[in-house]
Amino acid sequence: MTIAILVATLAFLALVADLVPGGGSARGVGALAAAGLAGILAATWFLPGTGESFGGAYVDDAFTCYVQRVLLAAGIIASLGSIEHADRVFPRRQGEYYVLLLASLCGMTLLAGARDLVLLVVSFELMGIPLYVLAAMHKTAREGIEGATKLYLTGAVSAAVTMYGLSFLIGATNSTRFDALHGASTPMLALGALLVLAGMAYKVGAIPFHMWVPDTYQAAPTPFVAFLSVAPKVAGFAALSRLFVQAMAPERTAPVLLLVGVITMIGGNLLALPQSNVRRLLGYSGVAHVGLLLVALSLGTVDALGGMLFYLATYVASNMGAFLVVEVVGESDIPAWNGLARRSPALSLSMLLFLLSLGGIPFVAGFWAKLIVFNAAWRAGMGGIVLLGALLAVLGLFYYLKVARAIYMEPTPRPDGPVVARATAFAIALAVAGVVGMGLYPGPVLDSALAAARVIAPAGTDLPAAPTAP
Amino acid sequence: MTLHAVLIVAALMFCIGLFGVLTRRSLVSVVLSVELMANAANINLVAFSRFGNHPWGQAMALFAIALTVAEVVVGLALVILIARTHGSTDADVPSALKG
Repeated sequence: MTIAILVATLAFLALVADLVPGGGSARGVGALAAAGLAGILAATWFLPGTGESFGGAYVDDAFTCYVQRVLLAAGIIASLGSIEHADRVFPRRQGEYYVLLLASLCGMTLLAGARDLVLLVVSFELMGIPLYVLAAMHKTAREGIEGATKLYLTGAVSAAVTMYGLSFLIGATNSTRFDALHGASTPMLALGALLVLAGMAYKVGAIPFHMWVPDTYQAAPTPFVAFLSVAPKVAGFAALSRLFVQAMAPERTAPVLLLVGVITMIGGNLLALPQSNVRRLLGYSGVAHVGLLLVALSLGTVDALGGMLFYLATYVASNMGAFLVVEVVGESDIPAWNGLARRSPALSLSMLLFLLSLGGIPFVAGFWAKLIVFNAAWRAGMGGIVLLGALLAVLGLFYYLKVARAIYMEPTPRPDGPVVARATAFAIALAVAGVVGMGLYPGPVLDSALAAARVIAPAGTDLPAAPTAP
Repeated sequence: MTLHAVLIVAALMFCIGLFGVLTRRSLVSVVLSVELMANAANINLVAFSRFGNHPWGQAMALFAIALTVAEVVVGLALVILIARTHGSTDADVPSALKG
């Protein structure tokens, strides 16, 4: 609970800091948000967990703590990466930008520990509503508003569908607690669970609820897209694990999750293949990653869920980094990236690392994530899924390396490289550190991911020789 | 009045709302249709609460009403922005993003 309260306090501090007159520019609010989040992240190691709060509606356990750390890291990178963009594009409104970002983050940190349907809905909306506003921050740009409207309309419909589904869950169990869902089995419960899954599938961008993804990614402020492309997914998967694995019996929810996951995995990769715009490419490839994460979720064993949580951490570092490089380059059509390596070698090397991590090449973070998930699928006896996943990973490399090829192999049309602001460079460096660090030394993060997974996974799914990091 | 009668009314309302979302061309009507869908959930919650004799459903409905209001406010603000940037509140006019 402490962490969510601290994030909310920081949001109010940012609001006040924005009101303090200081020469017309509120540039400092971004630095305040980043520094505050870094402090809160450090505090997660020192503050004692509060256990159950509000009569069990919210619980602070290893799972909540892990998810909150990943979310806070995403918040730090997003705040740092936004400073230059906000100051350049909407200098007078940058205070609101960070307040909304922190409010959304507060909803996400609550969602990680929600064990009650009322808290689930409230934190889900606290996470979602600021995102609609943030997507429309470029309020005079036609495309930006169009992307925000698409995000809003699909989001509002999915929120209504989720609420309708939750009403059936409450009706079937006469309670709002997740515990009451355990073991219950009626048609009404199944209907409610399906509707809730549909609503949450929107938030994480699973097929067939992915339509908003590429459009919003293409038109919204880029540093915000970096945040939007990872943080709601982390929080959404936390809520999905709590609801569909911890609360309901996984053997009943697994077939649906597996089906949605496989369709999303195939569809996302195929849709990403013909893209010539880096943002849309990263959008569709994100859909493909969500598919693999859903498959890991459906397996419901300790090593699969630990793999999923570790995957989310690596995805935060690599995808946010990639979007921040897109922000620095400024243009997102692939031909505009031609010969970037000669103009800006450090930036190109970072982008290459992010792309390799997303593609799953050894010794960058994404490789271990994919390996652990495939290993878990193999142990669960799903050889077909492993084969499909490996084939799609090769397909994924094809479109990721399309961008790398433009950067390294094509002649450059102009001599000058893009200018990187200091804060943005620092954010990209943090992402590189995450990708390389988790790639060379995945042990610590993986161990805490597995510890978090043991909270969620049903008893008896912990294999005696769980895969340990090299 | 039985629980089933109320649930059927709510289901009808949900379907009318969904139909409106999919067919209406004016963005304001789309937002209104979403509101219908959200209210179907509220009717469900109150009905379960009334017939199941527990207060959770009504508490949840109160939360849901507040959340829907917050969401609709953002939606209408976006409709105003669309009207400013595109000169129309028609759902078909914004069509620059494709692929």
